[in-house]
Amino acid sequence: MNSKKFWLWLAVGVLLIFLPFLLKDYPLHLVNISGIWIILALSVGLLQGYVGEISMGHAAFYGIGAYASVLLTMKGGLPFWVSLPLSALVTMGFGFLIGLVSLRLRGPYFAICTLGFGEIIRLIFVNWREVSGGPDGITGIPAPDAIGALAFTSKQANYFLIYGCVLLTIFVMYRLIHSRPGKAFMSVREDMIYAECIGINAMKYKRLAFTVSTFFAGIGGCLYAHYEHFISPYSFTVGQSFDLVTMVIIGGMGTLVGPVIGAILLTLIPELLHAIKDFRMVIYGLMLMLVIIYLPHGLVGIGQWISGRSSKS
Amino acid sequence: MLIQQLANGVVLGSTYALISIGLTILFGILNIINLAHGEIYMLGAFVAYFLVTLWGVNFFVALLVATVAMGILGVLIERTVFRPLRDKEEINYFIVSVGLLIFLENLALLFWGTEPRSMGLPYASQTVKIGQVIVTVQRLYTVVIAVGIIFGLHFFIKHSRMGKAMRAMEQDREGALTVGVGIDEISSFTFALGSALAGAAGALMGSLFIVNPMMGFTPLLKAFVIVIFGGLGSVLGAIVGGLILGMTEVLGAAYVSSAYQDAFAFIILILVLSFKPTGLFGKR
Repeated sequence: MNSKKFWLWLAVGVLLIFLPFLLKDYPLHLVNISGIWIILALSVGLLQGYVGEISMGHAAFYGIGAYASVLLTMKGGLPFWVSLPLSALVTMGFGFLIGLVSLRLRGPYFAICTLGFGEIIRLIFVNWREVSGGPDGITGIPAPDAIGALAFTSKQANYFLIYGCVLLTIFVMYRLIHSRPGKAFMSVREDMIYAECIGINAMKYKRLAFTVSTFFAGIGGCLYAHYEHFISPYSFTVGQSFDLVTMVIIGGMGTLVGPVIGAILLTLIPELLHAIKDFRMVIYGLMLMLVIIYLPHGLVGIGQWISGRSSKS
Repeated sequence: MLIQQLANGVVLGSTYALISIGLTILFGILNIINLAHGEIYMLGAFVAYFLVTLWGVNFFVALLVATVAMGILGVLIERTVFRPLRDKEEINYFIVSVGLLIFLENLALLFWGTEPRSMGLPYASQTVKIGQVIVTVQRLYTVVIAVGIIFGLHFFIKHSRMGKAMRAMEQDREGALTVGVGIDEISSFTFALGSALAGAAGALMGSLFIVNPMMGFTPLLKAFVIVIFGGLGSVLGAIVGGLILGMTEVLGAAYVSSAYQDAFAFIILILVLSFKPTGLFGKR
């Protein structure tokens, strides 16, 4: 790493540490919500960008993480810090089982199968009133337990919690992608039959990616529940699953930066441009079509194209 | 009671079959999986709804107009959205159709809101008794029209010049291109046909139930289940699958649980995909 790059990263790091003290309440709230979406988009992006399979039911895993953590803390009496990893593990368990069935399919069939699972899980959230609270959802979810004097009731404290998890997610995914399994993922994405010919157990690696992906979706769900103090089935619908797919595609598939950019953009744009708030979804749909037709590598693709040009000249 | 339920299942199943046939011919002939198909169904219902309620047009005329209008929309969609992706990976068709779905549904929401609307047709409340079964006249019309369209379609695909070209394309793409079948022509026509069927199904369903911008999504998912269950690209499979799903849902709602009526389709989907991924009439 050259010194110029080092100073750049240092500046970004310092900015990120002081950001919560510079922003007002509502902008900070948006930043926190973006953080949760970053984790979720990375989780979908791992599958979509590196294994090449589109999950259209990820909001369900997000929901499982949220409901699991609410049950563990409110009914099971566990502290948040135990429930965070535990709810992610529960989500991962569901992810593993659903992966066993759905990963036998590829491309659009896999996507539709996950969409189907997502709908079944959403219907369970709506109808299993004794456990999920039905369509009214669950209110009064406690904030994460305090560590010593540090209480997680303020937006600032939650910022550090959420972005701590974002960094952890990025770190784990970076390590995973730059290791043997990561190379295996990409070979499966490029050509599954060829990958199997050179001795890569494609199914094993697809399951690994799906399981890891659902683990982080669970983390996102748990954070969301304890940050918003309220969950209902309407937060975990096909619409949210589509949002995640859109974030990954608009940001750029097959990178870690892409989902991060996509998640931030799609959370902040409708807030910054109030005029378009009502058209938000119409514009997402339009953007998704335009990006697929004209910009297959997403916004990251534009960035690479510009930096490629400037380094040539 | 059971016979009554089965009759309701046939009504539901015949409209499911109409939507599914559109989806399955798009896949069979063009290899396109169009997730926006349900939105065309929704728009078809709205066209018929506005014609009937605003201008007092006869329902059958409204049905015809909705069918033709959706056929034209299908051509426009093919030209603008799907044609630019023809030489790219097939998954792009799928993603672009997700974009189209989000776009059309939310545009409709913006214009027409979430309120449920009803066409309020006179036949919707008149009933006739056939043996032990009581059905509304509108439901009877629905089944008759759906069956009529399906037979007409069968005849068209078997005997017309365009139908033969479409079948040639389905059987051997390169071969068909070699003997001079025009791919642009077939693509547009297949989209027109599939979308017209979806529009007709939407107008028919809209006459029986409520019309709103979200009405397209669940039938789309069910149409997928039917298409996969019946075998991708198989018109016969779509008809049989449509009827089976219609029956299953009605019987399941009556005897198992009505809260999970919409989940039966997905349970069937997961079972089929796990045990017989090629479906009932699939070729592979």
